[in-house]
Amino acid sequence: MNKDLYAQKFAELKKEEDQLLINDIKEKSYWGIWIRYLIVVLGFLMFGFSFLRDMPLSLWLLLFVLFYNIMAHLLLWFKQKPGLRQITMTSVVFLAFDTLAITFLIYITGWVESPYWFLYLVLIVVSGFGMFSYYSLSVFIIALFSAVFYLVLLALAFLQIIPIYGASFNLSPRELLLVINNKAVFTTVSIFLFAATIYYFAKLLSQHRQELSQKNMELLVTLEKMKDVDRLKDDFVSTSSHELRTPLSIIRENISLIIDGVLGKVNETQQKLLVSSQSNVDRLARILDNLLDISRIESRLLTLNMQETNLVELVDKVVAMFKGRTVEKEIAVKLDCPEPIVIWCDPEQMLRVYINLIDNAIKYTERGGEIIIGVGYSDDKVVSFVQDNGVGLGAEDLSKIFERFVRIHPEDEASPKGTGLGLSICKGIIEMHGGNIWAESQKGVGAKFIFVLPRRRKHGERKS
Amino acid sequence: MSEKVKILIVEDEAEMREAIKLRLEANQFEVITAADGSEGLSKARTEKPNLIILDIMLPKLDGFRLCRMLKFDENYKNIPVIILTAKTQKTDINRGKEMGAEAYITKPFKSEELLAEINELLAKK
Repeated sequence: MNKDLYAQKFAELKKEEDQLLINDIKEKSYWGIWIRYLIVVLGFLMFGFSFLRDMPLSLWLLLFVLFYNIMAHLLLWFKQKPGLRQITMTSVVFLAFDTLAITFLIYITGWVESPYWFLYLVLIVVSGFGMFSYYSLSVFIIALFSAVFYLVLLALAFLQIIPIYGASFNLSPRELLLVINNKAVFTTVSIFLFAATIYYFAKLLSQHRQELSQKNMELLVTLEKMKDVDRLKDDFVSTSSHELRTPLSIIRENISLIIDGVLGKVNETQQKLLVSSQSNVDRLARILDNLLDISRIESRLLTLNMQETNLVELVDKVVAMFKGRTVEKEIAVKLDCPEPIVIWCDPEQMLRVYINLIDNAIKYTERGGEIIIGVGYSDDKVVSFVQDNGVGLGAEDLSKIFERFVRIHPEDEASPKGTGLGLSICKGIIEMHGGNIWAESQKGVGAKFIFVLPRRRKHGERKS
Repeated sequence: MSEKVKILIVEDEAEMREAIKLRLEANQFEVITAADGSEGLSKARTEKPNLIILDIMLPKLDGFRLCRMLKFDENYKNIPVIILTAKTQKTDINRGKEMGAEAYITKPFKSEELLAEINELLAKK
């Protein structure tokens, strides 16, 4: 994926986010609609109880709420795919109607003396946390509507443009004006103070939500990038593997043909050199195997192909593989495998483990040395070791050698041998099997590489 | 009349083809070769070999599809197929099995293994 495609992915994710918001607002709007219906129904019930029979205006109020609620319901129903802006604006509009309804209620319950002005505050909380944590300024819009409607109501009633209900005032106009001023100031200041507080918290919430959402989108896009890189890498590994193996196989087969005398007799020296070439081709192939699998083993992404395997047979196989080299270097190979050991493991990967361990043992053992390979049971585990009497390692190196690319520098050599991957791979494989591997050694005496595996015959079943 | 067993090698690398041919002829097999997938398919049909050694990365028609085509054909499905390829991934080995190949050997290979596999499959028939 190039830059454009990533930008596209970002845009896609943003659209998804917006859609989630829209759905959320829609859901909350429906809540509001149902609550209003409920209030209207309760109101009608109370009216039926003749509570408000003397106040026909309350009937008008209920009808008014019912009316705009139905409009809101229809609007929400018919607009199947609202944009974010649209639905936000619509919600603000209907909250403004709610403000009007509250003002109406205040009017018929004693205007200046009405206790219901707190409902403005309730509405501010609803708008702040309910629908508009994405659009916190709406809090101030509702506050503004509330204050304006309230003040207009006070003015209209004071100027006797509309009749006064629910309260009798035996005050002179001047005194009344004072009361109204006080109430007006008190209520307006309360509304805006409250609005400011709610705004602050709503804004905080909204900021957090936005930050989280942004981080989330960035992570998702990064994930896509990493998946792409991973795919590229796998592709590369697969192609390189093939490209490198093909010539190796030609070289090997050609040499093999000559060694086997298919193309004529071969004298002893020629034989020796050719066998040596052949084993080096095999060595190259092994290094290739290691190199190409190392990243998958390291990240434990390699899938194990578990089956019942006889470890002793694997050991025999590997010993046979290295016969050429052990004979050439006059190294004696002893086996300490008293009985066949069958466990649940991946035979191909365990083969690699033994190949790497024995390869190392031969590499670091001098001419005429000895290698001992053992496999056996020990309580609920299988223990196996590869021991040599070669140059050994110092104590400080014993754990380091299992790290990737770490090679030990033998004293009498110009530079360390090998790629440093073999033991790292062994460790990865053993640990993926749920086992452990470590080394014991003394410089100049030899080294012993030991690993344990859980003793399992079948998947999940453990032998005691 | 030739009693020799006929083996078809489908491999695009000329040197590899030559080396396997030499090996098989030294072991008393009659060898026919093909350098790409479609040549491999037509030679399989016309020559009716006793066994096919098949590479995967072939021009014109890849080894997997060639194998599947032969295995789906009544007339040729009984010819054992050994896939011989540098592709070593588990997914490839599984695919080989799915396509009906009797054996899957990875390169570089030991000629003893190849010969053993050939003899085993021929004996089974």
